[in-house]
Amino acid sequence: MSSLFDLPFDEPEPEKAQVDTPAARERQRTVLTVSELTSHIRDMLETAYAEVWVEAEISNCRLWNTGHLYFTLKDPGAQLKAVMFKSAVRSLRFKPEDGLHVVVRGRLSVYEPKGEYQIVCEQMEPHGLGALQLAFDQLKRRLQAEGLFDSARKRPLPAFPRKIGIVTSLDGAAIRDMIKVLDRRYPNAHLVVRPTRVQGEGAAADIARGLTDIIRVAGIDVVIVGRGGGSVEDLWAFNEEVVARAIVASPVPVISAVGHEVDFTIADFAADVRAPTPSAAAEIVVARKEDFCTHIERLGERLTGAVRGSIARLESRVHQLNRRPGFAGWSARLAIRGRHCAETTHALRHAAHAGIQRRLRAYQTLRLQLEQYDLRRRLGTVRAQLVGADHSLRAAAIRRHHRAEARLHTCAARLDSLSPLAVLGRGYAVVWNESRTHVIRKAIEVQPGDKVRVTLSEGELKCHVTSSDD
Amino acid sequence: MDPTIKDFEAAIAELETIVKKLEEGDLALEQSLELYERGVQLSRFCHTRLEAAEKRIEILNERGDLRPAGTDLK
Repeated sequence: MSSLFDLPFDEPEPEKAQVDTPAARERQRTVLTVSELTSHIRDMLETAYAEVWVEAEISNCRLWNTGHLYFTLKDPGAQLKAVMFKSAVRSLRFKPEDGLHVVVRGRLSVYEPKGEYQIVCEQMEPHGLGALQLAFDQLKRRLQAEGLFDSARKRPLPAFPRKIGIVTSLDGAAIRDMIKVLDRRYPNAHLVVRPTRVQGEGAAADIARGLTDIIRVAGIDVVIVGRGGGSVEDLWAFNEEVVARAIVASPVPVISAVGHEVDFTIADFAADVRAPTPSAAAEIVVARKEDFCTHIERLGERLTGAVRGSIARLESRVHQLNRRPGFAGWSARLAIRGRHCAETTHALRHAAHAGIQRRLRAYQTLRLQLEQYDLRRRLGTVRAQLVGADHSLRAAAIRRHHRAEARLHTCAARLDSLSPLAVLGRGYAVVWNESRTHVIRKAIEVQPGDKVRVTLSEGELKCHVTSSDD
Repeated sequence: MDPTIKDFEAAIAELETIVKKLEEGDLALEQSLELYERGVQLSRFCHTRLEAAEKRIEILNERGDLRPAGTDLK
């Protein structure tokens, strides 16, 4: 309250003192209307308190839809009605609210129809911390409550952005710092820069529009928004709600890079990643890419390693199986079987071939034979054979005839020499039975009365036996 | 490029899966060789993409036009 004593508070007092003296009261008995008095009070107050600073707590704070703000300033002992017109409200960086401890600058004004006085505030600052700090805290609290800063909202940065969007001023050091880092460690980066104002009136809206514009560029996978170092006021645009909302609305991850390490802005909280400085933002992108390259290298190595390992495992299994007694010498046996198989196949093929050849030959033979069985040819042959046989038969017959004749002669000669009849010529006779079938050699063979035949050298006799002498 | 590879992130994700699968083992030789071949293809794709790009700086103006940055930025 001490500051209030600096104001021309005591000025009306001499007048008041004059009025209070009994002599003066008698001398000046002037009757005023309420209007006159009120008008007089108004003149006095408005002149005396054309500019006044008041420290108080805000209560009954209400923003009318006309844009004017009505509230009450109070302390434990008194209350003062207060109004802040639209034009002044617009320049506020924080939101006045009940319970807030503030210092206001304004002028006193009297509303005659109601006999009320109030303070018309031109300026308001939070007591203790600066208005910017309060605005920062308030916005931070509000956006936090909305969940805009939730870690669940934070997206991972792309490993290898096709294009890197940058929203910043072309005049500052920030853009050059970033390009320097990228040149050194990410020489094939593709940057798209959207120049914006980064401080002063309208900078926040400009940055927000820049963000909205740049994410429309095809291929942009990450956006860096920021500026180099400066005063709190210089960095203020990055504490504006419109920037925070534009960051949150971005479909691709956003890196904030505002000022120096110690500067924290609302943009930092809203961004997916906060970089302490613009150079650091570039370093983050680079590191991500370098990590990624390393990752790919390592994956490649692991890939080869894994395949080698898997082949080695299979090999060792083969070796183990090889060593099992059941498989002892299996490869040799396999080779033998293989050879056997090959041989059998060969033999089979050979046999099949031979069989075919044989059958072919048999066929040829048969065919030849068949040709030979040609009927005319066959008949010719048969006829020739018949003629041949006929000749030989005849010859044989003749030969046999001659032979028979010769034998006959021989036989006849021998017969002649052996004939018993030859004896007959010497006077012997042969006695036969009557039927001439039996030579009678003994007398006993015949009985008297039997007829016998007697062969002589010439002719034959038929004789009756009259008697016999044995 | 290879139509079976969608993009960078997809390639890397697939490569990771393949490596994990191979490292777990228990695969038939044919299958592991098949996977290996695919893995090499993916890794080559990534390398190619990493090295293929050229440095470029473009300026996006308020009308939405892109033009190459002036020499002052390079």
